[in-house]
Amino acid sequence: MEYVTTKSKDVTLLEVLDRVLDKGVVISGDLVISLAEIDLIYVGLKVLISSVETMERLRGAPFASPMQEPT
Amino acid sequence: MRIYTYAIIDSNNEITAPINGLEGIGVYNIPYRDIGIVVSEGEQIQDITQEHILKHEEVVEKLMESFTVLPVSFLTLFKKEDDVLLMMQEYYSDFRENLDRLRNKVEFGIKIIWPGETIKNRIIEASKKFNADVTIPDNSPGKSFAKEKFEKYKIDKEFAEEADRCIALLDDFFSRFITEKKLEKLKSDNLLLNAYYLVEKEKQVDFKEAFERTRSTPGDLKFLLSGPWPPYNFIVLTKNGDMFNRKPINQNLAEKNTL
Repeated sequence: MEYVTTKSKDVTLLEVLDRVLDKGVVISGDLVISLAEIDLIYVGLKVLISSVETMERLRGAPFASPMQEPT
Repeated sequence: MRIYTYAIIDSNNEITAPINGLEGIGVYNIPYRDIGIVVSEGEQIQDITQEHILKHEEVVEKLMESFTVLPVSFLTLFKKEDDVLLMMQEYYSDFRENLDRLRNKVEFGIKIIWPGETIKNRIIEASKKFNADVTIPDNSPGKSFAKEKFEKYKIDKEFAEEADRCIALLDDFFSRFITEKKLEKLKSDNLLLNAYYLVEKEKQVDFKEAFERTRSTPGDLKFLLSGPWPPYNFIVLTKNGDMFNRKPINQNLAEKNTL
């Protein structure tokens, strides 16, 4: 599993994605650019798919679950 | 000029430490009453990459060192500064309440993996043995189907009850050091618990020690801890943005932002 380093800790990329993509202060409405739900979902999926592919490549094996422990 | 947003903070002062946001553009605080929203210019944001996501989180974490923060969801862009201020006006009471409630608190994530398939197989085997001892053969298709359904229900129920017992023991231990929590049980057979805990900053060490003690307990559970995080999972908004009169997606804009 790919680890990313932030200032204070090592965390998995998926832990970051789990929070950043659709949690926290989520503002909807016409004032917000391109944040109609369809766009957000699309962005989220593309990034997630990209991350999983990266992890598969790094691990050299199919990625079965985000809960797999780092090897 | 598009405005990219990172976090609401409990300060209406200028940010003195230089912090670079997405595309290396410096962030600044837009004050509203006694709070503020940290933003950067968003014109140059086009293709979204993994680095953008990590940078967003990095900015929020840097802000967290100096302020109470309410992290804004990734890729929240406004058309102009006036729109940001309109949003702040609409959500001010929500933001104020959350900033007060989350002051000096951080979020931790705990995932606990158990051998779910093994446990379920054990329950199935025990059920088969019990049935072999007590059931009377009945080969009618209707009764077989109903029996099969009932057996599955019993197995799932027993599996969930065992998970509940296990989670109660573990959560009780962690909960001594927290102020709020969100628990997700059995998101998959093997993911026993996905938990988010809100912890006072001064109790972080105690919480981590409790985690380490629990992890070192002999057994076949696996533990993952992450944090401290900004409190992504503990922000409660009562407004829903309806006042902004959402319109159909602007096709041109959507195309412009297509990845």
